[in-house]
Amino acid sequence: MTDEFETVSDAELHAFVDDLLSQSERARVESWLEKHPEKADEVHRWQAQAAALKQYFAPYARSDENDRALISARRTAERTGSRSSAFRLRRLAAVFLIFAAGAAAGVYASDLFAPDSRLAAAASEALPRQAESAFLIYTSEVRHPVEVGAGERDHLATWLGKRLDYALRIPDLSPLGFSLVGGRLIPVNGKAGAMLMYEDGTGGRLTVLLGRNTENRETSFRIASRGDVETFYWIDGEIGYAVTGEVPRDLLQKVADECYRQFENSERS
Amino acid sequence: MPHGRDGLKNGAGETISSPDPFEDKILALMPALRRYSRSLARSDTDGEDLLQDCVEKVLARRMQWRGVNLRAWAFTIMTNLYRNGHRHRARHPEVEFDQALDLRAEENNADPLERQRLVHALERLSADNRAVLMLVVIEGYRYQDVADMMEIPIGTVMSRLSRARRQLAEAMKDDNVIALRRPK
Repeated sequence: MTDEFETVSDAELHAFVDDLLSQSERARVESWLEKHPEKADEVHRWQAQAAALKQYFAPYARSDENDRALISARRTAERTGSRSSAFRLRRLAAVFLIFAAGAAAGVYASDLFAPDSRLAAAASEALPRQAESAFLIYTSEVRHPVEVGAGERDHLATWLGKRLDYALRIPDLSPLGFSLVGGRLIPVNGKAGAMLMYEDGTGGRLTVLLGRNTENRETSFRIASRGDVETFYWIDGEIGYAVTGEVPRDLLQKVADECYRQFENSERS
Repeated sequence: MPHGRDGLKNGAGETISSPDPFEDKILALMPALRRYSRSLARSDTDGEDLLQDCVEKVLARRMQWRGVNLRAWAFTIMTNLYRNGHRHRARHPEVEFDQALDLRAEENNADPLERQRLVHALERLSADNRAVLMLVVIEGYRYQDVADMMEIPIGTVMSRLSRARRQLAEAMKDDNVIALRRPK
């Protein structure tokens, strides 16, 4: 920054477009742009974009006569457990799409149509994929992301542990800022598995998937990514574990470490 | 704040106030939330869905609100919902061209072709880049506010903003125009 009158950073150009500069900073950028026509062109395009975006979306900043009903509907819905049919249809469609994708990949097909689970051979390869699917399906659920909520933590552990034939202890991730949303029973490798869901203070979610493994072996941590979704998974004896989320990788790794540590303790106790 | 201060007038001129001041605050935020949800969504329908999900979530988590800046808190929740849901739609892209273009068009003065190009260009942005762009450009948040809301470093905000702007500019270049005609 010794040459501050000669250089303008990318960040300053954005701040110029977004009108976040002081008058003097603004004047400096303007005079710099006069000497850098190709940058000036780019800045003009950004300004035109911003104007177009504002123009396009401005009409949506309005109230709707149904807004109050929408807000108070929650209170009503909580009493009756009802929900608009459009909502249900949308959820159903979304789940069906994911299901279809899973079925095409043979993930659910073995469970539903061919109970002999021949496809389980590729199970350890399928684990991160199943974890991703579960994450994608259930974290976007607003009303029913889990079957049993965090309020029934002990029941959840007993129930899922029984179905999984495993002494399940639900990891406490509160030191990492995640609280338990709850869990559900879910097919993993064609057998009963468990999914636990956690959430941070702003609704960022991650899932922990447990499934019985077809072969008794151990692996180290592995990582699978698809788009922004990352999965840490490992196999420890007869159980495969997968931690999936869309959070920074080092945080996800901490979560995976913490789960590993706590699951290991639950096996010993 | 006195109870019901934000109450709306109904047609008969009476003040309607909900029994719940928190609900009144959310009601006051609806225009901003609606605009933000629509700026993230690919159609009006998707935008309203996202808005409804957000309102549900905000109401469900009201006990976790720390009492300051409800708008930013609600926007963060919306952003997270969008990032979760968008991915899952992105795996099954179903582009609703007509839906994306038709609605509310009468309220826009812009050249329809320009609007169309803008809509298609926006669809190419990743969820994260798009959210940053909209928070800055449409909602007027400062870079540091966006960093706080999305829990990312400010450098990441800048790089996402930069990527969004460059991708949008690239997609909207004149020679990239693909004229799509709507059936009459």
